[in-house]
Amino acid sequence: MARRWWTLPLLLVSALAPSFSLAGLAFENTAIVRTIELGGSLVHVSTTYAVKALEPRQTTYQIALSKAERAKTSWLEAKVKGQTTPLELSEDESSTEHLLSVSLPKALAVNGTLNLVLETVQTHATHPFPEQAAQKEPQLLKYETDLFTISPYVTLVQRTKIKSMAPNVISYTTPHDVDSFVRDGSVTRSGGTITYGPYNDIQTDTYFVAKHQQSISVHYSFDYPVLEVETLRRTAEISHWGSNLNIEDKIHLHNAGPTLKGHFSRLEYQGQIYHRRQAPHILSDFTLHLPPGVTNAYFYDQNGNVSTSHLRTVPSVAKGSKATQYSVLELRPRYPVLGGWNYSYTIGFDTPLQDSVGYDVKNGIYVVGVPVMTNIPGTVVDNAEVKIILPEGATNIEFISPFPELSNGMSTHISYLDTAGRPAVTFTYKDLTYKHTGIIYVSYQVPVSAHLKKVMSVGAALFSLFAFAFMARRVDLNLHKK
Amino acid sequence: MSAAVMDSYEAIQALHKSLPPFSPYVPASLLPSIALILLASTFALAFYFSTLPKDTFPLRETAVASLASVLGGFGVVALFCSVGVNV
Repeated sequence: MARRWWTLPLLLVSALAPSFSLAGLAFENTAIVRTIELGGSLVHVSTTYAVKALEPRQTTYQIALSKAERAKTSWLEAKVKGQTTPLELSEDESSTEHLLSVSLPKALAVNGTLNLVLETVQTHATHPFPEQAAQKEPQLLKYETDLFTISPYVTLVQRTKIKSMAPNVISYTTPHDVDSFVRDGSVTRSGGTITYGPYNDIQTDTYFVAKHQQSISVHYSFDYPVLEVETLRRTAEISHWGSNLNIEDKIHLHNAGPTLKGHFSRLEYQGQIYHRRQAPHILSDFTLHLPPGVTNAYFYDQNGNVSTSHLRTVPSVAKGSKATQYSVLELRPRYPVLGGWNYSYTIGFDTPLQDSVGYDVKNGIYVVGVPVMTNIPGTVVDNAEVKIILPEGATNIEFISPFPELSNGMSTHISYLDTAGRPAVTFTYKDLTYKHTGIIYVSYQVPVSAHLKKVMSVGAALFSLFAFAFMARRVDLNLHKK
Repeated sequence: MSAAVMDSYEAIQALHKSLPPFSPYVPASLLPSIALILLASTFALAFYFSTLPKDTFPLRETAVASLASVLGGFGVVALFCSVGVNV
């Protein structure tokens, strides 16, 4: 039994100690710098961890993200500062936070140092404040985040820099109760950059988080429209006879800036264009970069064709080679899209099939690469569905997506001159950004008989006409005199 | 993404890049001319079919009808592709 009276209470207290794992002792952060670049619908956060190993042969470093921050993050990448290859990440969720385990490129010895960079893109992280704005008022957005960057390890010094694109920042919160960590001022501002820190000797365990962690917000002006694509439905149809890949996007665009207060004045809008002082939250046109070799582009909405577009094409490049130039499609919606307004449209284009499909003669396998989406600059896609329609009679279909999808499935799509229908592969995604323009690869096989199926079905229909004519010639419908 | 899935993605990406590009049986630029020739010959054969005598064993009629149907099948598919409906 216990000798001293405090042994049992001490055991109980130590069992209740903050639950960071023994990994909390393996590293030490000599510095953490978090840089937040504010945008409209997208916010780019880049966190640099200057890491020092305290125990030998460490191969995994853990990065912590709070639950709220992980929910807002739609793209993550960790790499060593200065290098381009991303490091392998695996995610774990505990009751209070998300832990990302980064596999270091090589094991660190004791006192070995490394600079790791975690880049993330956050979506739906800003909101317009005030929520309503008249046509000529500026667009003001608010961004909120936590003051301290959490980490399972001790941090010697950390700072957070928030950068706004426009130099006028309306207001920012001043942190309270941080005097124990601060040597100079707790927050400074220079132009559009606000620096919180440096804060010294931080250990973000649950006790610290409960006592000192606070939310900071920045109220800033943003000079471009905040756009959201509510739904994107992309259909890619492969035709072997026509040697053509047709890509069609059905887009529901929403201006997620401050909603319009009052009515829309066309006179004021034209005046703004004439004096080149356009309000920042009005979308009048945008530019898309389409693949080289685009032909037969179309742009229509519910009313019909929209003629206010301009396409500048570029000759096509061979499959797999990096395109140096892109075809440029400038689109002007039928009406300027003000805050809170929606615009739905369909665009589509054809590209030659030899730019996207490769053929393995030995195994008879075709491999096609279809991009997930064409990025509209500065937008986030809330829900995307990509459907790839393969030629009729395609078998042994295998597919892979560049990043994890919400769901995938196969279906049958019936189109012109089809008898059995064409197999289609569908992927659904959520919260896509400009970082998600990867390529989906699908491999399939089409036997020669499947190619001839269309010809034979048309031929059978024509032959039935001939058979009918054959019968009709032998039927005597003349009236005979009795 | 896990390492295994990343590797297979990179493998298929490299495969896609290295494979020779797709080449159709019939080059796409020739399709309009082929459509015209085949449909014209289908029309001519259909006319010839209508002038054939009515035999008891319709050998000639069947032959002409089959040839016209096959040529018409190819012609209609080429026609669809040349007007932009890539079937």
